[in-house]
Amino acid sequence: MSNFLKGHHLALFLTPILLASSFVNADTLNLGRTPTPAEVAGWDIDVRPDGLGLPVGQGSVSDGEYLYDEKCSSCHGIFGEGEKRWPKLAGGNGTLADDRPDKTVGSYWPYASTLWDYIHRAMPFPAPQSLETDEVYAITAYVLYLNEIVEEEFVLNEKNLAAIVMPNAGNFYRDDRPDAANPRCMADCKDPASIQVVASLTGITPTDHFKEDGNDGVAYEEPAIEEVETSTLTVAAQAGQATYQQACQVCHSSGMAGAPILGDKADWQERLASGMETVYDHAINGFQGAKGMMPAKGGQTQLSDEQVRNAVDFMVESSR
Amino acid sequence: MAGFNKTDELGLLKRLHSDGEQLTGSDRRGFLKNAMAMMGGAAGVALAPSVLASNNLPPNVPSWTRSLGTGVVTHPYGMPSKYEADVVRRTVPWLTADPISSISFSPIHKLKGIITPNGLVFERYHAGVPTINVEEHRLIIHGLVDRPLILTMDDLRRFPSVSEIKFLECPANGGMEWRGPQMEGLQFTHGMLSCCEWTGVRLSTLLAEVGVQSEGKWILAEGADGAAMSRSIPLEKAMDDTIIVYAQNGEPLRPEQGYPIRMLNPGWEGNTSIKWLRRLEIGDKPWYQREETSKYTDLMPDGRAREFTWVQECNSVITSPCPENPFKGKGWYEIEGLAWTGKGKVKAVDISFDGGVTWRPTQLKGLVLSKALTRFSIMHNWQGEPLLLQSRAIDETGYVQPTLSQLRQSRGVNSIYHKNSIHTWQVTESGSVFNVQLS
Repeated sequence: MSNFLKGHHLALFLTPILLASSFVNADTLNLGRTPTPAEVAGWDIDVRPDGLGLPVGQGSVSDGEYLYDEKCSSCHGIFGEGEKRWPKLAGGNGTLADDRPDKTVGSYWPYASTLWDYIHRAMPFPAPQSLETDEVYAITAYVLYLNEIVEEEFVLNEKNLAAIVMPNAGNFYRDDRPDAANPRCMADCKDPASIQVVASLTGITPTDHFKEDGNDGVAYEEPAIEEVETSTLTVAAQAGQATYQQACQVCHSSGMAGAPILGDKADWQERLASGMETVYDHAINGFQGAKGMMPAKGGQTQLSDEQVRNAVDFMVESSR
Repeated sequence: MAGFNKTDELGLLKRLHSDGEQLTGSDRRGFLKNAMAMMGGAAGVALAPSVLASNNLPPNVPSWTRSLGTGVVTHPYGMPSKYEADVVRRTVPWLTADPISSISFSPIHKLKGIITPNGLVFERYHAGVPTINVEEHRLIIHGLVDRPLILTMDDLRRFPSVSEIKFLECPANGGMEWRGPQMEGLQFTHGMLSCCEWTGVRLSTLLAEVGVQSEGKWILAEGADGAAMSRSIPLEKAMDDTIIVYAQNGEPLRPEQGYPIRMLNPGWEGNTSIKWLRRLEIGDKPWYQREETSKYTDLMPDGRAREFTWVQECNSVITSPCPENPFKGKGWYEIEGLAWTGKGKVKAVDISFDGGVTWRPTQLKGLVLSKALTRFSIMHNWQGEPLLLQSRAIDETGYVQPTLSQLRQSRGVNSIYHKNSIHTWQVTESGSVFNVQLS
């Protein structure tokens, strides 16, 4: 660093303001200046679990209820249950090891300080850093109350916040990865017969820029991470699933026009008695039977014969 | 049209169409309108693109060869060809409650080499992109230091700078597929990933300037956005390779990427690289901010959670073919992909055509840099056979990219972040490519 600093002392004589600065130092470049205490205080908003950084102030659960209803409930729900995809704040205790864990302030967050800090720095979402100190205490108290961590009469302040023990405190541990050891096998790494292919869900990602029949990915409002069982279907049947959903499902999930219902073993057994080729033929070319009527390709004449056969495979294999 | 035979008419229409192609906006509309008026209303019918397109193919001389193009600074900031309008970032609307706190995906299926163009770098905002006046932006460094500092952006540019090519990845990349495949394209399975040349000042340089006190072990980095986005960074990382960045691929940082300055923690999950950086506070303990407790912690099957899972472990994906880039007919193709690791350099990438039964090494090509995207490729003569294509990267620590089963065995399916498992593309006999998982 000393190479940068040759002749540096000259600057001290030429710029009087630096003489007044507190950080003139032989090992530095002396760029910038010392911030004033007020400048730092205006931006220094962080709060730590031990309470360091909390400003003097207080807020009650009852004050918090009023503020929460007004400023928070439209997204987070009256009881912290969360509207649409906005974060749920309350409930979920004891669910973290479940298949569908419910991570909320009460069930998951390890420290109450984080709640105060985050409400203060970033909430309400449309108007960050608009809350008064006492309002932050009050809303924090109310969210803790929604999670049954404090009583109804509780008043939160800078002295008692750090003492609050969150239910999930202590259940976090430092990164211990790598946690998977995959040997670099080059040949005979697995039994080819053991490979089962799980096909992707369709219709929930934007595909209209590369698929002719694509979509914009907007259709689903619900979180789309669904249960995916390991598929036991053949490749043809998996390929037929999308066709089924698009062209066959309306009738074959309801039994409309006498259609055999997906998953109804007995109903399908009857049809299969005449052999798969007959079933394919009826699906592709149409069929009028005693039980009901199958229009050619379900009326979706743009489908190829192969697509229809795959869809039949999907329905048959799903109805065994 | 009186006086023209059919051939003449078509020829004239083609010429009008191609001449009109050189004009833009109202000029073009005016030109076509006048041309139509001259030739009579029936002309519009003949202007079908399918008829006219062939005019530019050999042996014809294309319209752009028989005319002049636009002049300099027609676009003071250049834009891609209008024929590449689909090379854009995209989002998946149902992923988040609101587009202001959301994510978009880089079109990595369309990109070549290892550099992501600035307009295509994936976006992740917690409260939208602030519009920051560079003259009014400051970086304050304070806390357990001998000489607290406030810097203008001009001040920052006077420090010695470095330029380094590093990848940036959201730890949620791929995180929608722990339970099964559901994204139908590469852009959505792996597009929370970009790589740029970043220019700025090493944080260690700034820390030398302020003089970190002996108790100082952690740094809180905080943004000036509406989320005041914040993370605790250990001093070891800050002293190692963290950069306070002000330029990206040669030009000033883009607003989406933190203009005027951001932190960059090479190889670490993207959210630690705080954008719109306004403050660094040195302390003796981590702060346990919302984005390192409620979010960006990894829930394990026993209900406990990993915290501070900073490193992006070794990962790879085949970018061609992919669902957006299917095989179009039999013959030779370059199978190509990207590999990366937060722990240094990619050492090797293997490829499997049969779902992981047999593997063969690929070639690494171009620059192989630490904590940067790395290209691999192999030529393949495809004869219509169905494939289960996989890539498997190995980094310089010897770590081998794991299978999804191995990750699930360790982590279950609810940890959201850091899914770096081997990815599978199913190529069908028609050349179509689908996102699948193997069990």
